[in-house]
Amino acid sequence: MLNEAGFVDVELVDETGFNSSPVTKGVLFRAKKFAISDFGRVEMEPKDALSKYQEFFNAAYAEGTIDRKTKHLIALGASLAAGCGP
Amino acid sequence: METKFNSDERKRIREGIKEKYKRVAISPEGKFTYPTGRAGLEGQKYDPEILRRLPEDVLASYCGVGNPFSLGPVNKGEAVLDIGCGAGVDTFVAANMVGPEGRVTGIDLIPEMLEQARTNLEKTSSKNVTFKEGSAEQLPFPDGTFDVVISNGVFNLIPEKGKALRGVFRVLKSSGRFLLADQILMGEMPGDTESMVTNWAR
Repeated sequence: MLNEAGFVDVELVDETGFNSSPVTKGVLFRAKKFAISDFGRVEMEPKDALSKYQEFFNAAYAEGTIDRKTKHLIALGASLAAGCGP
Repeated sequence: METKFNSDERKRIREGIKEKYKRVAISPEGKFTYPTGRAGLEGQKYDPEILRRLPEDVLASYCGVGNPFSLGPVNKGEAVLDIGCGAGVDTFVAANMVGPEGRVTGIDLIPEMLEQARTNLEKTSSKNVTFKEGSAEQLPFPDGTFDVVISNGVFNLIPEKGKALRGVFRVLKSSGRFLLADQILMGEMPGDTESMVTNWAR
């Protein structure tokens, strides 16, 4: 039923031991609205995905022990070594 | 599978629930087959540190069937919805977890339970809690409002469970989690609708 409502990663995690009648059982369920899929792709609304990627990008290229320009040059070198053409 | 009830049956189910929980609002003691109050909270291993911060007579209102917070963290600053909050014990536990930057909303169908929740609120120092009367089948919140939805022993009482669950999905943010403690039926569903309606909130 949780899956039908659209939830993913639905898990029946445990029984609680608090049963309100002889024919019912106390249980714990966990579910998520969206999840990281098997392909490692983050499934979320596009505007959220974009802003999350922007956050990651800004954090990765923030000035730190290594300055921003050097980080970009390292990234360029890494992408050429990995065969990513322009 | 969800049983479809007509409007008269839904009305009788709702009245049965109201009748029972009016009495629970006065005190849950002796009205359930499992421990309530502090004994229930300790039995479900709620964080003792948080319980210490809540007044004893607030803890006495607890009649949950499990510990939704055992299903994963509720973080500082998050927005939480407690569906069927009753007298609000889980709502106050969540309020302690999210801290002053977070906010927690409790919603319940039964005015007497909400009255108790508001009385309990006055006894706590929670500034980030609001209570609202309403049905889980028609959640009065915009899409994507909450990081976490919790519920404890309530969904088994909702006639239109599918509708309520779609509502939970709608009000959650895209990264949202649903942490649910509830009762599930182990045996056969009662054969006739009349017996289901009569025994719904027992």
